[in-house]
Amino acid sequence: MATGRDMILNKLRVARQPYPDIEPLQEYLPVVPSIDISAEGLVNRFVEQAKKLGGIVHRVASEVEAINEIFDLLRDDNCVLSWSFEHISLPSLSATFEVRNIKVADPRDPAIRVGITGADGALAATGSLVLVAGEGKYRATSLLPPVHIAVLRSSQILPDLESWVALQRERGLDDFREISTVVLISGPSRTADIAMQMIMGMHGPAELHIVLIEG
Amino acid sequence: MNVTSNDFIPMAQIALMDDEMRVSVNQATTTAYNKRLNVMFEAGIEHGEALRQQAAHAKRRALSQLPELLEQAEANFKANGAEVLWAVTGDEVNQLVMDIVRRHEVRSVVKSKSMVSEEIGLNHILEANGIEVVETDLGEYIVQLDHDTPSHIVTPVIHKSKAEIRDLFIRELDMPPTDDTSEMAQFARRVLREKFLHADMGITGGNFIIAETGTVCIVTNEGNGRMVTSLPRVHVAIVGIEKIVETFEDYATLTQVLPRSATGQTITVYTHMYNGPRKTSESDGPEYMYVIFVDNGRSDIYASKYAEALTCIRCGACMNACPVYRTTGGHAYGWVYPGPIGAVITPLLNGLGNAKPLPHASSLCGSCKQVCPVDIDLPRMLLDLRSDLYQEGKTEAHWILGLKLWAIGNQSPLLFEIGGRLARYITGDHPPKNLPGPLSGWSKYRDFPRFAKKSFRQQWRERRGK
Repeated sequence: MATGRDMILNKLRVARQPYPDIEPLQEYLPVVPSIDISAEGLVNRFVEQAKKLGGIVHRVASEVEAINEIFDLLRDDNCVLSWSFEHISLPSLSATFEVRNIKVADPRDPAIRVGITGADGALAATGSLVLVAGEGKYRATSLLPPVHIAVLRSSQILPDLESWVALQRERGLDDFREISTVVLISGPSRTADIAMQMIMGMHGPAELHIVLIEG
Repeated sequence: MNVTSNDFIPMAQIALMDDEMRVSVNQATTTAYNKRLNVMFEAGIEHGEALRQQAAHAKRRALSQLPELLEQAEANFKANGAEVLWAVTGDEVNQLVMDIVRRHEVRSVVKSKSMVSEEIGLNHILEANGIEVVETDLGEYIVQLDHDTPSHIVTPVIHKSKAEIRDLFIRELDMPPTDDTSEMAQFARRVLREKFLHADMGITGGNFIIAETGTVCIVTNEGNGRMVTSLPRVHVAIVGIEKIVETFEDYATLTQVLPRSATGQTITVYTHMYNGPRKTSESDGPEYMYVIFVDNGRSDIYASKYAEALTCIRCGACMNACPVYRTTGGHAYGWVYPGPIGAVITPLLNGLGNAKPLPHASSLCGSCKQVCPVDIDLPRMLLDLRSDLYQEGKTEAHWILGLKLWAIGNQSPLLFEIGGRLARYITGDHPPKNLPGPLSGWSKYRDFPRFAKKSFRQQWRERRGK
């Protein structure tokens, strides 16, 4: 007996092929054209777009300043969700947490207010963070708490999604396929389902803080 | 979901009397329409148009090699550790989902938006088998609580006012009374958060499937898509076979064009790519991932002259632009997909005889084609469907008679002139308020215009004589 798979594929194969003469696309037009790809241009565009989407960008020039920004955001919390520290490009964070007695909770603890992650890249065109799942890079950290803090280096900012995809192709798509999931995060969670009114923090974080270490 | 599209006209008449709904729909569609315009053409009309053609090209190219790409995607998903299943009919999808439910001893399911699952009535099957199933997109959750159906594919409760939703939450969820939209959403957040944390299985749709990598791609703003694919043990993605794209680059274009066209966002808050279940080194994410390729009538469309309809990326822009949709709302269309694309695919997926009025539910103004991010020629397809209706003998007798008379009158200059004079003579200076007999429907909502004192032909003769 033919399986559903065979029935579907056979039916498609015997059908007259739609668009038989279509050619592969030689060159792709970027969705957002004319991005200034100088280091400064990328940072400025990223910051502008991330803010437009409701993200809060903390531009800092040193690791010490970055740590201070994070502690300001933690207020009096003494327990956070966090990626493994080796994935957050702020080497002194782990020692500082120890000194100040900040604990890292179980990755799925739903009662924690702040989640801290690094980032695997960022996109200037759309103000997006790229988060790649992996060992110690928990999905829940940037999802369950109402406040998400992401630590980003300015050198990680790419022009756009197209350039991130080109990078994956360059590295080899087999490497990309080793990843279980990638998410681009562009601003805090939101909905407009009730009477078209914009509300932040529907299911994911209501606040997205990006601590951007420049230079 | 039952198809009630043959009741389009009475349903539309009821909708026309619902002022509250019409205000909600009109405001929402107008807002979305304007936001789309601003974002699609922010880099100029030429760039926006070129982008539409690039998006259309990607979808058409995928369609031209659909069977090969489906096989490629299947092989890649398997290599990534996900299981691929195929379903010819809606019932088969439901059966496959139930098999997965039993295999993994699933008791509760959380869903992010999947229009395919609306087609096949999946929720009812799960519930009938004692499985709790919760829609988690806020709009879809409201629809589920109210035993309603979505009236727009992107903003499902476009037809409901804030007060209606408030009353629903108070009635069904014991929400403390509030008029604050934000408090209402926060309340729903808390209710649904519990569901996410305890669910065994998450179901999503898929906006795109990348063949060359084996990737399910979805877009969400609320974050429910992430919850559904991060917390439960099992992830099932239910996707139509037409969602395939060939390359990663095609995806990069389409996943940005979709929100631009749908809601006027440059990108959605969450843009997801799923290659497979979590790796053994990861401590969260689903342990099992299934991708169900759904046909449910799509291969029939593929084999027909309407294959172009399969390039639709479900952005809803044609609904927001359509004067008919904007007036009647989505429910009158009588199935899952309303608006111009609904008027095309509802008859194609359910049989023309089950949706006879829909090809006529259009003024053929062409707005839908103009806003379509993949440039689908919806007006042409609506005309072709009208022609099919006639060929299949499904056009109503009074239409055929009327059009025949019209054709006779328009082919004979003499008859045309006599008819015109007769009409001018009868209506005179005081045209009737209501037309007689079968024509009365036309004048019910319109003023019958006064004929010009002299016809064009008369004027032509007079002036040429000078």
